[in-house]
Amino acid sequence: MTISTSNPSETFLKNKSKFIFLIGSIFTSLGILLVTVGGSWDITNHLLSKPESFFSPPHALMYSGVAISLTGVVLSFIGWRNLQKFKDSYFLSLKIKLIGIGLLTGAGPLDFIWHSYFGLDGLLSPPHFTLITGMFLCSVGGMIGISKYLKFNNSQSVMKYLLILAVIPVWLSASGIISSLSLPFSSTDFFQFNPEPTIAFIIASLAYPFLISLSLTLIFRLSNYQFGMLSILGGLFLLIYSSTAIVPNFAMFDTVQFYALNLIPFVISDIFLKLNRSKLSRFFVGGLLGSVFYMTYYPYVMYTYNEILLGKLVSPSLIYFVYFELIQTVMIYTIIPAIIMGILGVIISGKLSKKILMN
Amino acid sequence: MKRFLIYFGAFVILSFYFILTIFVLPSEFLMTEQLVPEPTFQAVLSDSKITLGDSFRLDIVSVNTGDYADIHIVSVAFPDLIKTDDVVKIATYDFTLSPSYIYVDEEIGSKYSGGVETTFAQYPSIEAMSRPLKPDVPTHFDIVVTPKELGLFNIYVKSIGIPHTSSISHYPYSGVLDHQNEYVQVYSVTVNP
Repeated sequence: MTISTSNPSETFLKNKSKFIFLIGSIFTSLGILLVTVGGSWDITNHLLSKPESFFSPPHALMYSGVAISLTGVVLSFIGWRNLQKFKDSYFLSLKIKLIGIGLLTGAGPLDFIWHSYFGLDGLLSPPHFTLITGMFLCSVGGMIGISKYLKFNNSQSVMKYLLILAVIPVWLSASGIISSLSLPFSSTDFFQFNPEPTIAFIIASLAYPFLISLSLTLIFRLSNYQFGMLSILGGLFLLIYSSTAIVPNFAMFDTVQFYALNLIPFVISDIFLKLNRSKLSRFFVGGLLGSVFYMTYYPYVMYTYNEILLGKLVSPSLIYFVYFELIQTVMIYTIIPAIIMGILGVIISGKLSKKILMN
Repeated sequence: MKRFLIYFGAFVILSFYFILTIFVLPSEFLMTEQLVPEPTFQAVLSDSKITLGDSFRLDIVSVNTGDYADIHIVSVAFPDLIKTDDVVKIATYDFTLSPSYIYVDEEIGSKYSGGVETTFAQYPSIEAMSRPLKPDVPTHFDIVVTPKELGLFNIYVKSIGIPHTSSISHYPYSGVLDHQNEYVQVYSVTVNP
């Protein structure tokens, strides 16, 4: 008679380790999604100078997100430790998540110390940059974990929709990094962290188009070219931005119709890739996605271009006036580099997806 | 043929998208009326003459009678002082942001440009700000002043609404210009020995 030496909980962990790792990755990504949504909402509240306390809804969303992500990383670690197969394959995801959550949780005390010494900080400050970098790394770790699980388990098409949850936080947190390096929201009494306007102009004009194209074509590749993924991801991004950056500002409410039109290039890119996945078609889609960055990042991207092209004072009710005043000039200056960066996004997404899905 | 039609339709929709987002809608939105805040205030001095060592009070009630203001500012300046310390104390304050103290030689906005054009402060001032301010909501800013010198003690008061979209987005509309090249109402108290 054989006597089992492992207890039932250990057996359960071993049997369900891959699934626990997946749940951990989902929690990590979901948590970061909440943090990024809360963060975008919080920026809008600050711009509108809405009275806020620590217990404001955006803060509640952000702190819940951090707690969910932390739970996700712990679950990922438990799942990974009990894995019987693919331990090495999942390690990259876990490693990135651990570094990310370390930065994310470490940013809290750092922010407290910073506030104690220097008062309120702007968008770009050492604690905020630590936080955003942590968010980005956690979301990348979550995305790799979810993608690998779906690949190794040959998951059905319904499960593939998890990729939307995997990619959207990466897109949003990377947008946060670009915004903090290009928006003029970082000047305080103690430090002038506002980026130099010309450098901010270059960063925004190159990085946003690259990121849009990279995110949307990456999900297309990770989902094994599933039609609809690109449109849903793009639509979700627009929904999040419109509900956190446009709707809360009553003066901009009417411009939601303008913003909603941005779904058109996403759906058309999806259709083009469904009909033809040739290099030419992919490059066309990349160029198209890159070229619409100024519209996709409405309204705050305007602040970067206003600094160098108009230099107007922009109070909340004037945001869309200045944005629309600039749109044609910005398009003239940025359309070619944006298309090129969009194409580059397609090339990099190809290499990245291969690396992510590698055994 | 079917594929060609889809491509053709997609290109037509894309052209429609770019024309609408870059040319048509921006023109439409730029034609909409901008908000015009109309700040105004009433200030009451407790005394017109005091004895050196005594204090007087200036009570200001400000209101925005126009459209919603992103920022509503009431500025009180002291052209006869170098520092406000020990001379000026805030008695009542119900603006949404903390008062901002402006010191001599500090770079400040001018000509109602909201900081686009700047100058350097020649005398101290205190700015009260509400962000935002809905129409017809009164705000209060009262100060107690204890002059340290004999003679005429002047106080400049003005209010500005942002967005500053019209000549009625500031108050007063005419009169004395201050160091920021903006109109002010002058309140004076004689300090006797």
